[in-house]
Amino acid sequence: MNILLIEDESTLAESILSYLQKEGYHCEWVDNFAKAHEKAWVYKYDCVIVDITLPDGSGLDVIETLKQIKSSSGIIIISAKNSIEDRIKGLDIGADDYLPKPFDLSELNARVKAVIRRRNFEAQNDIMFNEISINPYERNVMINDQSLSLTKKEFDLLLYFVSNQNRVITKESIAEHLWGDDMDMADSFDFIYSHLKNLRKKIEKAGGNDYIETVYGVGYKFTRH
Amino acid sequence: MKLIAIANRLYLSALILVFMIGSLAAYFVMKSIINHEFNEKLYAEQDQLIYELNNYSNLEKTYYLNIGDVIELEEVAFDANLSPVLHDTVMYDPYEKKELPFRQLKFSSEIKDKHYIITISKSLLPNQDLIEGVSEIMIGLMIVLVLVLGLLNRIIFSKLWSPFHQIIEHLRDFNITQPHSLELEKSNVDEFNKLGDVLEQMVNKSMKDYRTLKEYTENTSHEIQTPLAIIKNKAEVLLQEPLEEKHMRELSKIYEAAGRLARLKEGLSTLTKIDNHQFPSVERIDLNAYVHRRIDALQELLEIKNINVEWSQNDQTYLDINGDLLYLMINNLLNNAIKHNVQNGSISIAIANQSISIQNPGKPPQVPVDQLFERFKKSSSSAESTGLGLAIVKRIADHYGFHVSYTYQEPNHKISIQFNPKKNL
Repeated sequence: MNILLIEDESTLAESILSYLQKEGYHCEWVDNFAKAHEKAWVYKYDCVIVDITLPDGSGLDVIETLKQIKSSSGIIIISAKNSIEDRIKGLDIGADDYLPKPFDLSELNARVKAVIRRRNFEAQNDIMFNEISINPYERNVMINDQSLSLTKKEFDLLLYFVSNQNRVITKESIAEHLWGDDMDMADSFDFIYSHLKNLRKKIEKAGGNDYIETVYGVGYKFTRH
Repeated sequence: MKLIAIANRLYLSALILVFMIGSLAAYFVMKSIINHEFNEKLYAEQDQLIYELNNYSNLEKTYYLNIGDVIELEEVAFDANLSPVLHDTVMYDPYEKKELPFRQLKFSSEIKDKHYIITISKSLLPNQDLIEGVSEIMIGLMIVLVLVLGLLNRIIFSKLWSPFHQIIEHLRDFNITQPHSLELEKSNVDEFNKLGDVLEQMVNKSMKDYRTLKEYTENTSHEIQTPLAIIKNKAEVLLQEPLEEKHMRELSKIYEAAGRLARLKEGLSTLTKIDNHQFPSVERIDLNAYVHRRIDALQELLEIKNINVEWSQNDQTYLDINGDLLYLMINNLLNNAIKHNVQNGSISIAIANQSISIQNPGKPPQVPVDQLFERFKKSSSSAESTGLGLAIVKRIADHYGFHVSYTYQEPNHKISIQFNPKKNL
């Protein structure tokens, strides 16, 4: 999988690259509009992550170029300007997602995966993790071929974990993933805990293993042990 | 109290005082003049009477004495040698047909070789009438003066003070978030012109300060974003490393703090955006349905605290409002109602008469009620709460001219928003 990151802030780009590379993606990084424009024409990417404010142009123009050449790349906008107009405009001209800065790398990773799944018509395919198989399209989960009934939040939580396997996922990033702005951070940790408890219970009851590890004081990690 | 009322009150009391002293003084002066005049008259009558008695044998032909005066002639055998004595008495007056005050002059005299004690009694009635008349005139004068002064005052206040009222009007309409100069009209009163000038300077200065502050906030808010993202993401990258638990915790604190700062920044920039009218689009939203949807979205939070939602809605309430702002407003209110609720508590939502009120039981507020809508006034010391929620609600309400009120009545918190009927249909 090839990913193009268009981001003028090198320190930020480093973190993003380091996180995504560990996921096994092949990542390229450019830090201005001109280079981005050139790369977009020449190479084919599964996903393009683009910052809107670039020193020599707008990331929105890069998206328009991609659309002109009928690129099949998934496009995720990352922007320091959390502006509604930019979000609407970006999604309007064909971006798949919009992530305001500062974001969690685990969140970006999950979104990259979702975008790539959708672009490659993989949505119907199951995501497998040992005995757990998740169908993100139909939103159902099977454990050892036995269907698992999960609530919406439990499903989102499981999918988020599976998207960020072997990673420490912070409580904050889970809260933001599940509820966005809907809820105050302070309250959400209790809710995460209660959802997790139910999710673990359901998986174990269906004969699955508990892959969710608590990283004390920080968050959780979904791992094969 | 209104200036005019105070002025009128002062005028009235001064007037009454002056008139009372004046009337009293006038009364005494008048009385002494009249007394003096009376006595003079009595003495003159004495002389006249003695003259007449000496020179005429027939008194009936002459009428030099006043009608109503009573003259008693008492013949005595010897010279009483009375020096003339004045004294007041009450006598029956045949003209007025009642007992009336009289002044008597008693003296002795020798007329045609006979000794007499003569008493001339003069009715004091005209005297009293005069004083009454004077009092009436004084009172009448006072009433007329009070009326004229009141009227004059009213005219002065409406005419002369109109620039002042105009200044107040302008100041009241002034809104720092939508600044425009006061543009006061010049009046012909120097004091008001001076006041206007000073106010205009002040307003211009605060407008400038506000602009500077706003630019600063906007710039900070935007420029802070990237370093924040770097801190957050670097911490996240480091968290993936095999670290000791001790280091992990320290790291997670850095990460948390960055997250908090990001949320804080988000809240502040929302406030700024509201001020800058960056939520211009308006749509018609059915409030009842909207709040129902929001409650549905928060269902799981309600379930965990086992909170019961009670509805009361009388009529359909439609709002012409920006969707994002309504979301912020309702969400903040509902979140607060859940957060500050008790286990197994309840939330009462009432939508009626162009208003919504949300009530929930909870601990008494730890912040004075009048500061509750200010920024960073949190009633919990919780680090994750930004303390901006209610400030945002208030600002949105102000933006649309809604009225927000908060009351705490053991054990219920109640926040009501009255939507301005002008803005809605």
